[in-house]
Amino acid sequence: MFKDLDPILHSQLRLAVMSLLIGLKEAEFTYIKEKTKSTAGNLSVQIQKLKDAGYITVEKQFKDNYPLTTCKITSQGIKAFEQYVKALQQYLHVK
Amino acid sequence: MKPEQVMTEQESFSIIQRMINAAKQEQKDNGMGWIIWGWMLFTVSILTVLNIRFSWFQTFAFWNAFGICSILLLIAGVIKKYYSKKKNDVQTYYNDLFKLLNIGFFISLSFIIIAINKGVGIVFGFALLINLYAFWMLIYGAASNFKPSIIAAFITWGLAFAGLFVTSVEMIMYIQAAAALIGYIIPGHMANKAYKQHSSV
Repeated sequence: MFKDLDPILHSQLRLAVMSLLIGLKEAEFTYIKEKTKSTAGNLSVQIQKLKDAGYITVEKQFKDNYPLTTCKITSQGIKAFEQYVKALQQYLHVK
Repeated sequence: MKPEQVMTEQESFSIIQRMINAAKQEQKDNGMGWIIWGWMLFTVSILTVLNIRFSWFQTFAFWNAFGICSILLLIAGVIKKYYSKKKNDVQTYYNDLFKLLNIGFFISLSFIIIAINKGVGIVFGFALLINLYAFWMLIYGAASNFKPSIIAAFITWGLAFAGLFVTSVEMIMYIQAAAALIGYIIPGHMANKAYKQHSSV
């Protein structure tokens, strides 16, 4: 019996963000944008979706008069990511 | 990268792998810190042996200078970091661990140096310092999965034990120099080479 792939994670940019954050304590928006090679607008929308799902926390503050957005994966996000990878492995073993 | 584009399972795996590798880059150490630290320890140990042989200055003059230089470098580093405009746009658990490990290392180092000055004994005190270097190397090697540091840690511990059985300052200085070479300089250069190779890919 195959598990459905989590639709929140089964998207290129959201998966990239989660895969990046899983190995880090926290990362700034600019860093994620650079590593995922995405546009600011696109990334903002996807980050908001991950935040709404409870997979990441987003902290907004100001540093030297510039806005600073920091993202951090939650324990719920880690669990969802692990389940997603497990489900992926199941699919790949069959093919 | 497009947000809602349909992906195959292989594409998903490829994204995961690429991003995890990108995050791993943040955990690479160029080894320069311990190359500098290792050469400083090595040079001072050898200069102390020469100083004993040729009686240039008071026996531990080079170690006193080393202590002053280390404190000045530490202060300069803290000031530089405080005023640095460079953004720290990512934080890793690995870097946090090493920040605390290094703080612990320097507190223990200071503890032993004070103990030496309080009468623990020069030779015994240096054996304790070498033992501390080995402990740092083991944790560093294990946390960063860097085998040369783990091997160096056990060799350095061997040197620390040997240090307990010598009686002359000259001999413990040779052991200290060997520990700096095996424990810091050689693995440091290996880490630096690996870092350069990885960065150029």
